[in-house]
Amino acid sequence: MLAAGLAIGGLGLLAGVGLAVASKIFYVYVDPQIIEVEEALPGANCGGCGLPGCTAAAQAIVVGQLAPNSCVGGGVEVHQKVAEILGVKVELKEPEIAQIGCRYSVEKADIKYVYDGVTDCRAAMLLAGGSKQCPIGCIGLGSCVKACPFGALSMGNDGLPVVHEDVCTGCGTCVRTCPKGIIALTSVTNRILGEYTTDECTAPCQRTCPAGINIPEQIQQTALGNYLEAVRVIKERNPLPLVCGRICPHPCEFECRRNLTDEPVAINYLKRFVADYERESGHRLQLFKAPETGRRLAIVGGGAEGLTAACFLARLGHSPTIFEAMPKLGGLLRTVISEARLPKDVLDWDIEGILELGVEVQTEKALGKDFTLASLLKEGYEAVVLATGGWDATLLRGPEPDLEQAAPGLYLLLPVSLAWAQGIDVPVGRRVVIVGGGQMALDAARRCRQAGAEQVTIVYSRSKGELGLSDSDLTKIGHEGTEVYFDATLSQFKGVDDSLTQLVFSHLVSSTAARRRFAELAIPADTVITASGRLPEMIFVKVPALEGEETPLLWQTISPYHPPSTARPEGIFATSDPISDYRAVVEAIGAGRRAAASTHMFLTGKEVAPPLHMLTSQTEVLDVGQVQELLPVGARQKMPKRPPEEHFDPSLEIERGLTEEMAKQEALRCLNCGLICYTRGRYH
Amino acid sequence: MGDYLLLIVSAILVSNIILARYLGNCPFLGVSQKMDTAVGMGMAVIFVVTLAGMITWVVQYAILNPLGLEYLRTIAFILVIASLVQLVEMFLQKSIPGLYRALGIFLPLITTNCAVLGIAIINIQEEFDFMQTVVFSFASAVGFTLAMVLLASLRERFPTARIPSPFAGMPIAMITVGLLALAFLGFSGLVD
Repeated sequence: MLAAGLAIGGLGLLAGVGLAVASKIFYVYVDPQIIEVEEALPGANCGGCGLPGCTAAAQAIVVGQLAPNSCVGGGVEVHQKVAEILGVKVELKEPEIAQIGCRYSVEKADIKYVYDGVTDCRAAMLLAGGSKQCPIGCIGLGSCVKACPFGALSMGNDGLPVVHEDVCTGCGTCVRTCPKGIIALTSVTNRILGEYTTDECTAPCQRTCPAGINIPEQIQQTALGNYLEAVRVIKERNPLPLVCGRICPHPCEFECRRNLTDEPVAINYLKRFVADYERESGHRLQLFKAPETGRRLAIVGGGAEGLTAACFLARLGHSPTIFEAMPKLGGLLRTVISEARLPKDVLDWDIEGILELGVEVQTEKALGKDFTLASLLKEGYEAVVLATGGWDATLLRGPEPDLEQAAPGLYLLLPVSLAWAQGIDVPVGRRVVIVGGGQMALDAARRCRQAGAEQVTIVYSRSKGELGLSDSDLTKIGHEGTEVYFDATLSQFKGVDDSLTQLVFSHLVSSTAARRRFAELAIPADTVITASGRLPEMIFVKVPALEGEETPLLWQTISPYHPPSTARPEGIFATSDPISDYRAVVEAIGAGRRAAASTHMFLTGKEVAPPLHMLTSQTEVLDVGQVQELLPVGARQKMPKRPPEEHFDPSLEIERGLTEEMAKQEALRCLNCGLICYTRGRYH
Repeated sequence: MGDYLLLIVSAILVSNIILARYLGNCPFLGVSQKMDTAVGMGMAVIFVVTLAGMITWVVQYAILNPLGLEYLRTIAFILVIASLVQLVEMFLQKSIPGLYRALGIFLPLITTNCAVLGIAIINIQEEFDFMQTVVFSFASAVGFTLAMVLLASLRERFPTARIPSPFAGMPIAMITVGLLALAFLGFSGLVD
């Protein structure tokens, strides 16, 4: 025993001394930072960063080819240590975690055949795309579990993979392995920015919701009694749940699959119940916020849309400021909707929740009077989001009618026409562009010419045939020197300081049965008159000036992304009206989130565009025509209301909200739908 | 002299360390994409294996056998090989930095390369004398390099070949290796 120990020990000592000597002889100068960084890295040589081994990664980090937070295996602590060595500040990377996008195992879903082959999803995929009817459903053979290098996945009892969130590093190996593309790396930021696509499992209600709330998840959490978790699910998409729970026209309920057998689930009552539960508990749910970026943004308009945009921009880590013309925030919610439907203290609680996220507010500041878009950009706001909503349609009224001009040189056609009719002078520039408006646009073009405009261009979003304009009209207006473009949409405004200088629009140049070709045109313009009822959401940003040159402030607009459309070119006025309107608060919330997402994409240097295969209301998706084998449940809950004699008191809310017992009963009625799956009785 | 020649032919062709004994597959598949790294890896292996063969022979007959510690052979050999690889790494970093970078992660992996340990153990099992050990170790490593170079020269042609997409990458490499091994089977019986 002693001999053995001595022999091996001696051998080791000899080797050690030999190596020590060799290291002196073969000494090579290596950047000490590389050695330090390498020591800070975990040394697992996992290859998650894309390089073979930690030594290569350390070199790449020090040279600057790799960001200090590239190590996926190490996590935040390693990132900070590496950043400390390099003397840089590491942008805290929000953790990304794999999320399984399928809720019904092969056992519970409709299948095409029974698979009994190699236990590998990719092999099963070769047989008619897997055994499930659903083309995007989990095959359940666990290829992702085998692929995970960190052991963060396992097969659950229900035949679906389960992610162990504390172990998952977000390396994305499972995402690349899954042949069905069910697993996605997700973070709060991703979920805020996300749009539903045809590649993921969505329920009919979820697809219909203009704000895009994950309704099945919300109701499942309610059924389990996790009311605050349900609120969190709602707030990922809708920062005004108390308001929406009261006045939402709930288009989701019209699409509810329960309509096929009895009555829809009272989705909106349930939303109100959990939102009220949070408020009555007295504690506000802490919402996740991405690390601070310190970038200042201005939002013009403090209505539902502006508040939503501000809320999500704050949650994405930016510092937004809302500029509101009225003394209090809330817009139409505060001024138009009766107290019997939406009490003011309820509205205030939702608004406070948004402001607590770090949103600054300046009230009684009107655009065009107290500040201009250019003045905000000069003050250091990196982008100005115009979300003035329904107020744009202000008609001329009051003793001294004042024509509103929200953005530089931008007027709505209706107030302008009214002003002309009343004999009020409209300040028209030399180059005028009129957007849409049929015959009214032709008249307006003449008025502008009389008022001294040198060049008038009319941009119609529809075709000549659709507008019903006669050829003689068009020839006449052509003789007067007015140019007309059909099938055209505005895509950008550009300007200097407080004036508009250029307009970019695309128009149809040739049309065949197979393809419609559009071309983009930029024309000088100082006045735009648009026939739409209100202004669209627009984001104003500075055009970077040449270094060292003292130039006037150049600005341009970027338009928030729209759901893709094949029929028409995309632009600010993609349809004749902007992408949202004030039919419902929930539409304004959806538009506000998109405006925030678009601004975030622009600030982070990404292309402002919707994801591939984004769902629109026209998209054809796989669905079911009937539901069978349902669990026996009670009827739809009725909203408790005040007695009719109290309805005349405008200070009392008529609807009183569901009780906890009623909410639980109602939540059980939810079929927890997926694309074609839903809860069936035989599995209970 | 004829004995040594037979030993060399046997080690390189008949009992090729990779294609007949199936040792050292990791670097064989890992570094055989480009000819120059394959040659570099082969040279590093020749150097390490020859040196490791000599030193482990000395360790076996000068230390382990006299002390009756034959059962410690694997541990002692790994210790020697690991230190040797460290030495080669330092040497390459100083003298041939280009090769050092090209080998990357595979150089430290020689430590756990079973071909190196395998050859050292075969030397003892076959009861070679010192000279035979030197010749056999060197020849086996040359066999390793030969297989590497053959595979690398084939893999370098993959990008221009029309490979069905399911076979692209590793699958076609494995098929090629299989065919290579089959070809080497032809040498069996050349030497008893």
